Amino acid sequence: MNLTLARIVPLFFSMWLSIQCVFAGESDRALAEQIDQHVDAQLVAAKVSPVATLGDAAFVRRLFLDLTGRVPTRQEWQDFQQREDANKRLLLVDRLLDSPDFAFQLRNELDMMLLARKTHNDAWREYLLAACRENRSWDQLFQEILLPEYKLPDQPGPAAFIRERVQDLDELTNETSSLLFGVNIACAKCHDHPLVYDWEQQHYFGMAMFFKRTYRTRNGLVAERPEGQMKFTNIIEEEKQAEFMFLTGAKVDEPEGNLSKEELKRIEELVRKAEKDGKAELPPLPEFSPRKEFVALAVDSAEANYFTRNIVNRMWARLMGRGLVHPLDQMHSENAASHPELLDALAADFAQHGFDLKRLIRGIVLSEAYQRSSQWSSEELPPAPELYAVAVPRPLSPWQLSLSLLVASRNPETLPGLDKPDDWEQQRQQFESQANGMARRLEIPDDGFQVSAEEALFFNNSAQVENDYLRDSGNRLVGYLKTIEDPESLIHAAFVTVLTRPPSDQELQAMLQYIRAREDRRVESLQQVVWALLASPEFRFNH
Amino acid sequence: MPDPKQLKRTHAWRTPNILFSLTRVPDSERVIVGSSDFQINELDLAVEKPEPIPFVGSGHTSYVTGLALLGDTLVSAAYDGQLLFWSRETREQQKAVAAHQKWIRQLVASPDGQRVYTVADDMLCKAWNVGSGEAIATFTGHELLTPQGYPSMLYAVAVSADGKHLATGDRVGHVAIWDTESFEQIAELETPGMYTWDPKQRRHSTGGIRSLAFSPDGKQLAVGGVGRIGNIDHLDGPARLEIFDWQAGQRLHELENSKRKGLIEKIIWSPAADWILTMGGDHKGFLTFFDLQSGELLHQDGNDGHIHDGVADDACENIYVAAHQRLERWTIANS
Amino acid sequence: MTDSHFCGSPEHRISRRGWLGTTAAAGTALAADMTFLDVLQSPALASELQTRQKRVILLWLAGGASQFETWDPKPGRPTGGPFAKIQTSVPGIEISELMPKMSTRLHQHTSLIRSLNTRIADHGTAYNLMLTGRVGEPGVDFPDMGAVLAHELGQIDSEVPDYVSMYTSTEGRRKGKAGFLGARYNPMFLTDQMTPENIGKLDSISSVDHRDRAALRQLLAKRFSSDRPSPSVASHNTAYERVRGLMASEKLFDIDQEPRSVRNAYGPTQFGEQCLIARRLVEAGVPFVKVARAWWDSHGQNFETHLELCADLDHCMSALLDDLQQRGMLEDTLVITLGEFGRTPNINGSLGRDHFARAWSCSLSGCGIKPGTVYGKTDEDGNTVVDGEIGAGDLFATIFKALGIDYHKEYMLGSRPIPIADFGAKPVEEILA
Repeated sequence: MNLTLARIVPLFFSMWLSIQCVFAGESDRALAEQIDQHVDAQLVAAKVSPVATLGDAAFVRRLFLDLTGRVPTRQEWQDFQQREDANKRLLLVDRLLDSPDFAFQLRNELDMMLLARKTHNDAWREYLLAACRENRSWDQLFQEILLPEYKLPDQPGPAAFIRERVQDLDELTNETSSLLFGVNIACAKCHDHPLVYDWEQQHYFGMAMFFKRTYRTRNGLVAERPEGQMKFTNIIEEEKQAEFMFLTGAKVDEPEGNLSKEELKRIEELVRKAEKDGKAELPPLPEFSPRKEFVALAVDSAEANYFTRNIVNRMWARLMGRGLVHPLDQMHSENAASHPELLDALAADFAQHGFDLKRLIRGIVLSEAYQRSSQWSSEELPPAPELYAVAVPRPLSPWQLSLSLLVASRNPETLPGLDKPDDWEQQRQQFESQANGMARRLEIPDDGFQVSAEEALFFNNSAQVENDYLRDSGNRLVGYLKTIEDPESLIHAAFVTVLTRPPSDQELQAMLQYIRAREDRRVESLQQVVWALLASPEFRFNH
Repeated sequence: MPDPKQLKRTHAWRTPNILFSLTRVPDSERVIVGSSDFQINELDLAVEKPEPIPFVGSGHTSYVTGLALLGDTLVSAAYDGQLLFWSRETREQQKAVAAHQKWIRQLVASPDGQRVYTVADDMLCKAWNVGSGEAIATFTGHELLTPQGYPSMLYAVAVSADGKHLATGDRVGHVAIWDTESFEQIAELETPGMYTWDPKQRRHSTGGIRSLAFSPDGKQLAVGGVGRIGNIDHLDGPARLEIFDWQAGQRLHELENSKRKGLIEKIIWSPAADWILTMGGDHKGFLTFFDLQSGELLHQDGNDGHIHDGVADDACENIYVAAHQRLERWTIANS
Repeated sequence: MTDSHFCGSPEHRISRRGWLGTTAAAGTALAADMTFLDVLQSPALASELQTRQKRVILLWLAGGASQFETWDPKPGRPTGGPFAKIQTSVPGIEISELMPKMSTRLHQHTSLIRSLNTRIADHGTAYNLMLTGRVGEPGVDFPDMGAVLAHELGQIDSEVPDYVSMYTSTEGRRKGKAGFLGARYNPMFLTDQMTPENIGKLDSISSVDHRDRAALRQLLAKRFSSDRPSPSVASHNTAYERVRGLMASEKLFDIDQEPRSVRNAYGPTQFGEQCLIARRLVEAGVPFVKVARAWWDSHGQNFETHLELCADLDHCMSALLDDLQQRGMLEDTLVITLGEFGRTPNINGSLGRDHFARAWSCSLSGCGIKPGTVYGKTDEDGNTVVDGEIGAGDLFATIFKALGIDYHKEYMLGSRPIPIADFGAKPVEEILA
């Protein structure tokens, strides 16, 4: 009867919904749990106890930096503090992943990974931002970057990865291999790797062959010539013809071309013109495209090992401070991952779920391993970093630092952050533009990053720093602190705004003393206090 | 009547050397050239394959940059600072004079055949008696150092047709005009456009006045060099000519040509002063004619060889040119 | 735990950065000396201690100076150009007449190398070759001469900068790189001004406040880094702790501090002023100073250009050597003249010479060098090296040995070696004291 049906359908529907939620919840935690399972297993085997999990304040700061690319505003931190949900950390993760900030942060990370070390390119960055906003899958990004003329033919943005390297075939080959597959095969150019049987000369030249025919046009697009071969000489001075061969040894045969000599000549002429003249007619795309074959091979399930494991490893390294395979470009049989089964599991999961970067990141940050503290107070040396027993302090990337400096030096009362989501997107966009100059000044950190004296001098003595971060005006932190009469409250506000924590007693006393000794120049003393906070390593690092 | 528009190269003779200076034996097709192999040779250009006949003596020990034929005496000057005197008939060296402490850049004979004038990087211009080989006077109107404190060069010297006036021009664009009897400076002109100092990219200078020539009536002075250069690694600037009424100190023409760039190394006025020929080059060579009534480009041509020196015959119909690895003859005769 | 980074092949002795490795604890574990030597334990390494007193001034002839117009003239040959050669104070050695002041000093301090064959003749690649001493390879970021020598000769908590590079012309300007040694060894790079950027405090803060503010920062830093044993974190503190010392070195860049007579000796050109600054810096303990004199790339008007630039080089180099000698510093200071390459024997239509790396020259003066020597010979036209051919790696080995640095030394990173001189490089013993 209707009445019964009317009750049953919603009942089933809500049951169905809750089952979905339960399942979703299950698979939400599944990745995180797998991670912890494997990491904990090794800790047990090594008889090492991990440090405690981060407290709330430290967790919030770290999470904001990793998912939004900036420190939290005071409001965002206080909002988190006040929530009572038992699973508020999980909720925060999801909230941040859905925030407009996430796309900016992921864009900046991908840019750093793929191009920013070489050059800054606005069209490329715009392209990445659009992709990140849609949470475009990694395999699609990969294809767009490596086959721009097929996937996004009129856009110079995605072509930048290839275009900026195409003048040097070695560079293009090696960096593609390193950045997109985790394999630095530069050695193999000269000889077969004596220890690592994976890499022989034929692999190097095999990879290079896929890119040999690529060229750039005057107006910034990339394309391929219809022909081009390579020869190489091995160590016993034999000359060999290079074949199209992927890292795994999988080969591609080139079909017989059906273009006559004259047609080839004509196309070569068009290519030459296109290289020089922005208005020239583009030559037709070749029948056989080595790069298309390359992409097909790379993403093909049988060969996708490197492709999948590399991105997983790099995402892991950004969040955990060290790759499961370390260094990031030495994925070969002599360099096992620290947690091989975990890497396999993550890679499999990634492939099964549509190469979803957001999902992967989510899984990692929900793990306990991610949420470990970076504090190590013992006299003994810390455990080996590959155990992930204690977190590694990571220097902020140029973008994270510039954005955080802007956020932290604003008046916290006028910067709600995500609490006012409609305003925030625009504000975030503005911050990105403002952070541009500073970000491009700073060095992109690598393994073994060291701060230069230049940076220290810059922060100490440049007018730009004073102007941008220490200004005494209504919408700035200094201007806000000026309005607080009670010095203890003032100091407290400064710490919470900049470092997302209250001062220790010692710190409070030192700051009070400092301010009290400068009653005659109160504003300057406030600027100096803010400076000390912003110039501290605690601010400079993600810990 | 010579017609620049008829300009045609009639002969080119190749040599492995750079020819820096040239003079002509009057009423003949014989020329004498000074070269980068430190030699002086006479060639008869009337024959199909002219053979160089060397002048013999202790000779020069660097690039021969100036030649003047006065009767039977050939006077030569070079980077070695020497002035050598030769018999043209026997082609033997007669006298050697240690004329300057530094590199002699140019040499010119007085119209009366009694004197030669030399300019060198010691920033001195000296007058010499050809018969005795002795210095008559020294002119010192040019600064030793450029405004930036670097050693300067004195590249160019010219004498008026009546022999009364002498002009000298240097690296930084300063021109001094002298009275050849009183040995006093009587005028000066500035052509700073001939000098490029790059303070930012390359931090050195280039350019300089390379050629001077009085008009047939002696009232005007043409100054040649190269204009502003952007990339001073190369001679990549417009060929530059300025013409002055030097007594009034007034510039009458400022002419630049970017089609055929580089230094103007030699200037020849037409007998009627209706046009002017500039020759020089960068990696290549040029002959550029300007119409002096309109101040417009009249005609130009050129070849691979940067021209260092040149002389016209009396009718101004044939032009003999000393260039980079070649000796050429051009004609502007009305055919 | 194997951490395989490289193929082990002798041709590709590469490694990663992060040279402090996994065993170094926080800043406190680092010795004052950056080479991590415990001198008390090893008396044989007392010479290493001496090494730390050595200094280098590199007079970088950017653009490629002509060997014909400087150290290896060929007058009278078709390739020789117009300038003569002059007898130097060393019998049998002649140099270009454009270097008269150096010609009278050759016997005192200087050795010439005429047999460089480095093969690479484009500015960028040749620059990297001559500044790092090796061809390099993708994926490895080799440090340049300045960074390596700053590391070998300097002090980790040095109050003065340890690598200063002056390059005011814009042509060919390249920043210099610390490569895998890390940002700690980046040069202090002067371009527009003669003093480093940001070395003077702003007027808006008093000296007292500037100092106290730093102490406040340090309080925070100490607390944070005391339980964060990370070399990167430690480097942050090191960098900030050096600031006051670096700021104090501002006056080293001020040549008004020198008496008129000294200023006059160096002369009024910018190159002269920078050589004087270099002397002041090394005198104060800066181990490596690079003074670039650009731009020698005389594709046209080679002779005019060298007339001008050699006058500058001849004068300023002589003044510098005289000054170092007078102050008793020359036996501990190595002065190098070097460029990317030399110039072609062939003279082109613009009377220029083009790039040429097959047979060219450089000079070494002072510390560890046997004065008045020449190594290597080119043929009569300067087209090829006929005796004593060496490459960039050999030059570096020679420089290291002159400074008392073991050129076989390797930076060890776990089990990964990075030799400081290119594989197979050998020093030129004949010119070493």
